[in-house]
Amino acid sequence: MEASVERVSVVRTRRPVPSIVATSAVLAVAAMLGVPGFASSGNVTNIGLQVSILLIIAMPMTLVILSEGLDLSVGALLSLCAVVFAQTLGLGWGMALALGASVAVGMLTGLFNGALIAKLGLPPFVVTLGTLGIAHGIALVLTDGNAVVVGNPSVAQLYAWTILGIPFPVIFALLAYALTHLLLYHTRFGTYVFAIGGNRDALLLAGIKAKAFHIAIYVFGGLMVGLAALVLVGRMNSAEPASAIGMEFDAIAAVVLGGTSFERGEGWLFGTVMGVVTIGVLRNALNLLGIESSLQVVSVGILVLLVVVIDSVRKSRVNGAKA
Amino acid sequence: MSILNNSRFVWSRVSQLDVRHHVGEETATLIYRAVLIVLIALVLAFATAAFSAAPNLLNVLRQASLMFLLASGLTLVILSGGFDLSIAANLTLSACLAAGVMKTGGSPILAAATALSCSTLIGLLNGLAVTLLRLPPFLATYGMLWVVQGLAFHYMGGNEIYGFPTAFRTLGTGFLGGIPLPVYMMVFVLIGATIVTGGLNFGREIYAIGANSEVARLSGIPVRRRKIAVYTISGLMSGIAALVYLARVNAADSAMGEPLLLPVIAAILIGGTSLFGGAGSLLGTLSGCVILALVIDGMNLLNLNANWQPLVIGSVLLIAVLADVLGRGRKERIG
Amino acid sequence: METTIPTAAVPLLELRKICKSFPGVRALTDVDLQLYSGEVHMLLGENGAGKSSLMKVLFGAYRADSGEFFSDGRPITIESPADAKRLGIAVIFQEFSLVPHLSIAQNIYLGREPRNRFGLVDHRKMHLDARAALEELGLAYDTHAYAADLGVAQQQMVEIAKALSHRARVLVMDEPTAAISDREAEALFHVVRKLRGSGVAIVYISHRMKEVFDLGDRVTVLRDGRLVQSMLATAATPDELIAMMVGRSVGTVYKRQYFGEPGKVALDVRQLTTATGVRGVDLQVRCGEIVGLSGLVGAGRTEVVRAVFGADPIQTGHVTVFGEAVTGGPHKVAAMGVGLIPENRKQEGLALKRSVHENLLTASLWKLFPRGWYQAEKARSATKALIDSLRIAPGDPSKSARVLSGGNQQKIVIGKWLSAGCRLFIFDEPTRGIDIGAKTEIFNLIENLIKDGAAVLLISSELAEIVHVCDRAYVMREGVVSGELPRESLSEQNILRLAMHGS
Repeated sequence: MEASVERVSVVRTRRPVPSIVATSAVLAVAAMLGVPGFASSGNVTNIGLQVSILLIIAMPMTLVILSEGLDLSVGALLSLCAVVFAQTLGLGWGMALALGASVAVGMLTGLFNGALIAKLGLPPFVVTLGTLGIAHGIALVLTDGNAVVVGNPSVAQLYAWTILGIPFPVIFALLAYALTHLLLYHTRFGTYVFAIGGNRDALLLAGIKAKAFHIAIYVFGGLMVGLAALVLVGRMNSAEPASAIGMEFDAIAAVVLGGTSFERGEGWLFGTVMGVVTIGVLRNALNLLGIESSLQVVSVGILVLLVVVIDSVRKSRVNGAKA
Repeated sequence: MSILNNSRFVWSRVSQLDVRHHVGEETATLIYRAVLIVLIALVLAFATAAFSAAPNLLNVLRQASLMFLLASGLTLVILSGGFDLSIAANLTLSACLAAGVMKTGGSPILAAATALSCSTLIGLLNGLAVTLLRLPPFLATYGMLWVVQGLAFHYMGGNEIYGFPTAFRTLGTGFLGGIPLPVYMMVFVLIGATIVTGGLNFGREIYAIGANSEVARLSGIPVRRRKIAVYTISGLMSGIAALVYLARVNAADSAMGEPLLLPVIAAILIGGTSLFGGAGSLLGTLSGCVILALVIDGMNLLNLNANWQPLVIGSVLLIAVLADVLGRGRKERIG
Repeated sequence: METTIPTAAVPLLELRKICKSFPGVRALTDVDLQLYSGEVHMLLGENGAGKSSLMKVLFGAYRADSGEFFSDGRPITIESPADAKRLGIAVIFQEFSLVPHLSIAQNIYLGREPRNRFGLVDHRKMHLDARAALEELGLAYDTHAYAADLGVAQQQMVEIAKALSHRARVLVMDEPTAAISDREAEALFHVVRKLRGSGVAIVYISHRMKEVFDLGDRVTVLRDGRLVQSMLATAATPDELIAMMVGRSVGTVYKRQYFGEPGKVALDVRQLTTATGVRGVDLQVRCGEIVGLSGLVGAGRTEVVRAVFGADPIQTGHVTVFGEAVTGGPHKVAAMGVGLIPENRKQEGLALKRSVHENLLTASLWKLFPRGWYQAEKARSATKALIDSLRIAPGDPSKSARVLSGGNQQKIVIGKWLSAGCRLFIFDEPTRGIDIGAKTEIFNLIENLIKDGAAVLLISSELAEIVHVCDRAYVMREGVVSGELPRESLSEQNILRLAMHGS
């Protein structure tokens, strides 16, 4: 009997390599060859510094999008946390407490977002649009529209600090990646993130309280934003109420570029890292070529569109072959 | 025990007052909005003498009209079950282009044509992205927002353009019979839009698509074609709003449209249009615009620090969303 | 006829006199079921017989209105899925409980991931355990593969492994071979036999006679929510089983009156093939006749009519409606005079959010107002006329469609097409979820349609319906038409015979 029945064995299917790998490689090579000054070590460090903040906030954004959500308030929240951080420092409270305040603000906002989205079921893009306005508003009120200059030199020193030649912000960002990777791939929480996006019913059938974990995703986002504020303030040695608005676009773009989909809980954390680097490379190259920031945004948008279209074409081809 | 009984008694009495039982749902919504408008107006009239002055009231109307021009297109899109985040950026780019044309010597007519072509094209592209590429509306229009905004930044190069021909400026600042021109435009658009939604097959089909697009499709409605149409109309309305706004402020810069996005969305939601599609009206949106205009005017008159305004608007938006969703109940959303 | 297993064992699980009703429908009446350890128990019955309800009661998704449960002879209750889980009852769902982008191991251990001393997931242990669970079934899957990359058969196997890892003693499988190839089915049978050998009781719902007799130890037949008989598989023949399954009572409340001569060809389908599982279907419908399209769930009937209506693309084949070829989407086909009353009334037939009035108008806007100018008054009188003639209750056009009964909702969907001047009506399970009184009304409505010269294609899983309402019928099986029954041969037995696999 055993011999006549075929053992249906499955080898791990080779998933198609996400386009981001090819895209980033092509872009990097093109930049190295075509853009003067790109390949210098100073410039590479520059890119690293420039994308460090983006990387930190793109990490939780990956989780949010994996869970079929979206967070448009990240940029405004980052500015707000930076303001809180800078002002707390200004009150003479020291770095640790300032960071704590920043993280607290971030996590509270995350809780707010999460509660409305997960518990009340409101559409994420509208909720976070509202939170964007509120966070921006609070930042404006706190600063009266002005920048908060930081008197405490330790922040800028921290920013400029290097370990083995690698700037602290880059290390900080890599730590953020490591933490998120650990969370996403080595904890139950991470497994449930995929389930919330992929098949929420499976979680409910298994008796898991999906709502609580769903809210936790946004709280985690708030935590990371609060931490990223440290780097932001270090970079500019001040905090402006609108300094980071618009970063959410780059974060979402990086996540999408990296292969994370808006449905079905499909995604790749390292892909987001590659997406962040790609955007950093693109912007840096365009900068060196003298192309202004506004057109850089357009370029990022077009790049994302291209990658999305290519990925969906490849996917439909695979599905066609399967069926 | 008796407290419970008493409150139940009172509640049943109060709920009998609920107009909804006597009039249709839509009319009830409008009545509530009208009451809200009167209430806010009264509060403001009490709070500051400057409110009741004719110039101020006309200003409120003007502001509401402008918002309505922008909101009308978005209302149609939301009615059909979609969304358009790019309307403000669309307005910015179209206005900047028009300003550029006039500055380099072009006639207002040419400027208007440029603005309208650009804005309609953006709308069309949104429509195609949503129907052909099957991108979720908020995502596609969010991307469009940034691309268009980036183009506007690039075009303006960080500068302002100001000083336009008087003939053009009357569009935004002129009066006719003591009433600002934009108000006439608003009425015109309101009538037109109401004809579309209430008097054209097209309008009825939009509601059907918004309520349940699969049912609409299986009932023989050409859903794709209609969706492309509403996004294109939204684009067109952004262009019209751009011209009026440009005429009013007599200046163009790359950030001019941005502060309009949240108030417009809040106005539409307050006006009773559901985010999930299939329910709402343009008259409702108009009332929402009036309410938002009153709120903004109130903030200015009461000398509320400009820094508080985004906070207020953001909160208003969230409250409006909450009211929309909770008011309709879970079942109706999925309906 | 033997009705119990000779070895006098205590049933692993026993249900006695289970009753379950919903408003207007009695799903189960006095149903008994005994499950013994180590048996494959086949559950047979046509659609609506109560198999699915019984399954849900077993699983705790429905709470029985009355009746008793016994586990190993001890009285117990099953009132929630958690109760069922505790008793070791597991149901194999096909789509519901795998997360596509998690690995097989993660899916099996979802919610109970083993953890190491740092509180992190112990991947090594999880994969080891998962591999062991699969090996018990004789499978050698790579536990790192994502669920999304597995075929349906393999997903099913993972579901089974998952259930077993919960130490299931009773496994319920609903048509497990419906969507898989014969070779994969063989592998499944192998697994089922292994499970039986290790003492698991398997409730197996199937419509394939071959399976019933190859695999089954005992058979239970349900009809109209009641138990007909439970017996040893060796003690029954296919014909006897079919005879037990049929014989509904529709014929006593409705008698078809009109039998005119069919007119011109309304619908002509040649060699229709689609990506949705239709594999070369031919059929024809003429004006003035009601043609039935029967077969079991999954046979492809809905897929055929969706392709005819333009809702799904046609791969190969020709569909002609009133002489014109169908080439586009629903909006083109509807304009040719075709109307589809879909199976899923609440999500595809009418918009529950909207009012009766608005729903009635959805398909006929351009018929009533060809220039595009909508006139509320004219629209109102048109829908009022419809409401009156169809007797839709309540008669208030502004009422939300959601509050109407199933029968009245269906009338709205039919009315929607009536006012659009439809000449070919396609009904997909029109009386599902509708009480007997409303069913008769619907049948009368349909008869009036053809009296007026329209053509009707009627999909139904209720054999009595096809027999008593239709002029003739096609029977589908696994994507093709397995036979056509003219009026003389139109009987429930014949339909079922053609519908079932290998009988």
